[in-house]
Amino acid sequence: MRGGSHHHIGYQRDDRFIPCHHHPALLLEMVREPGLDDHKALRHTGLFPEDLLNTNARLSPRHYLQLVHNIRRLHPDPELGFRYGQTLLPGHYGAISTLLGNAAHLDQALITLEDYQPLITPLLAPRIIRTGEYCCVQWLDSCGAGNEYRFLVESMMSALASVTRWLSGGPLPWTFQFSYPQPDYPEHYQVYLGAQLYFEAQMDAMLIPAHYLNQPWPRGSHTARAVSEQQCHQQQLALGCDTSLVHQLYLALIERIREPPSLDTAARELGLSPATLKRKLKHHGTHFQDLLDRARKHTALHLLQFYGYSGEQVARYLRFNDNTNFRRSFKRWTGLTPRACQQLVDRAMTTLKPL
Amino acid sequence: MWGFALHRWKWFGLLTIASAILALNTLTGTLKPMAEVVWLDIAGEGGAALLVLIWLALMLNSRPAGRVTNLLALGLSGIFVAYWQDVMDEVIQLPATIVWDHWLESGAMPVGMLLLTLGLYHWHKEQQAICDQLRKREKLFREHRDFDRLTPLTRAGYLREHLALASRCAAPPVLLMMELPDFDAHRRHLGERDSQRLLQEVAELLLLNLRRNDLLCRYAGHRFAALLTDIDARQALDLARELEQAVAAFAFKSAQGGTHYSRLVTAITEAGADTPEAWLERANRDLDEVRRRRATNVAA
Repeated sequence: MRGGSHHHIGYQRDDRFIPCHHHPALLLEMVREPGLDDHKALRHTGLFPEDLLNTNARLSPRHYLQLVHNIRRLHPDPELGFRYGQTLLPGHYGAISTLLGNAAHLDQALITLEDYQPLITPLLAPRIIRTGEYCCVQWLDSCGAGNEYRFLVESMMSALASVTRWLSGGPLPWTFQFSYPQPDYPEHYQVYLGAQLYFEAQMDAMLIPAHYLNQPWPRGSHTARAVSEQQCHQQQLALGCDTSLVHQLYLALIERIREPPSLDTAARELGLSPATLKRKLKHHGTHFQDLLDRARKHTALHLLQFYGYSGEQVARYLRFNDNTNFRRSFKRWTGLTPRACQQLVDRAMTTLKPL
Repeated sequence: MWGFALHRWKWFGLLTIASAILALNTLTGTLKPMAEVVWLDIAGEGGAALLVLIWLALMLNSRPAGRVTNLLALGLSGIFVAYWQDVMDEVIQLPATIVWDHWLESGAMPVGMLLLTLGLYHWHKEQQAICDQLRKREKLFREHRDFDRLTPLTRAGYLREHLALASRCAAPPVLLMMELPDFDAHRRHLGERDSQRLLQEVAELLLLNLRRNDLLCRYAGHRFAALLTDIDARQALDLARELEQAVAAFAFKSAQGGTHYSRLVTAITEAGADTPEAWLERANRDLDEVRRRRATNVAA
């Protein structure tokens, strides 16, 4: 990444740091046919066909998103995202692929994804929530994906489902939850992900009973892990950040969700002026209040879904003065009342329980 | 889709004839004075000639070379030549002694139409033959958007439409869901290109082993669905077992020449009183159940 002065604030849309020969090259390979030239797919991405073999060529998140946009327009097949996902992990990205491919159990694989997110899933950040009984992998937009968001969710979920099936030696009983309504191609969700699918369920997440986290996997090599972990650590240090600006701010808000900082405070802590932070967030298709609402909504959802909180308990936790006020906010975040939402997520939870 | 190169000589021939007509007219005749030219006629006849050219281009673009294509091209060319001479007549005055322009105008049109009709008739015959071949892959109607890019089969959207039709039939049809349960692992082993070819070849294999009236489609990924009509549950089970055996015996060859074996799991679901969507959902659940049972059997 260039311009080393402001890295601690996280990478941004225009930072060139994604190696061309990693995800972007894989995506192009999926659709490459004899007679089709790469120029159309590479339009407005700042890339040339010869860059794909150049190990030093780097792409910004914005350019990667443009590539996804171009390829989806040229190949409108809805299966593409799922097929692309299957090839993504562990991938051939050097140290990070070795690290992931040698995970000793599911928990290690998830920790790897979360800790080295910029190296392996730059556009969609996973957040792992462990609740004792369950584990939830929530996928979050890290750079303002806009219309490509659903494609990214499809490909990353397909990627994680596929790589964990491969590493564990058999399919894992994931339950899938989506923020959007069921698309008109449910068959790909069923075949590539599985039968437990819940659409219009407020967040994009994969759930699994917690006892799967530490079941030993056959492949993990301790030495390979130790060595590749050091290399990944070096790579991330060179990059200068652990995640994107937007995701970093979101996580900071989640951490202090009971007493969230104001825009001014958050900007000061990042070493930016409020106006600059505002401008940067706008560039990523979001704003401070939007991120704060998202953080509160997700916290409320997790409390309802995984900890069995009632609406009143959530309101108290989030320090709302009165219940009416909380219900109004909740309705604004989710379009539902807390009770209706609880019923909805309970349905997803029932498939996780009987084991 | 077939490109310009395949029909290069047809275009070249037509261009030559059109230029020859233009040359003959300008050499033997004289330009009409502006006052005598009827612009509406030129626009009408010229437009017709242009449209015929567009038809020709569309037709040639979508067809391989062959007898039917030649007939259609000759017919359309004849019609074009007649209109072209019409346009010439509007702007060039030929001496009264010349009659070939008349022959061109009045002769090329009927001959062209005759050839076009003959071409369309053979095209219809050809279509019937193709439909016969495609019968297992697409049943009653064709919708090109439903076709799979990878295999010669239709996709899930087409199946859903057919389930709605089939559930109204007198004899209840049976839905056979099939899957290559180890495909994801094979894909990592074989690589993207070979694993896609494996799917194509399994699709062909399934087609070969199905009956004439069965509809096969690629549901998604490595899952296939066949809609079986006029069949009872026992026969359907036999057919499913035959398909499993066929896939188990199939020795797929990778690009390196290595042999690679796959297995197929199948599940049969009869139509119920529910909606086609629910039927399909039931079929998918049944398949999941069979796959799980087989996996635990293997483990045990």
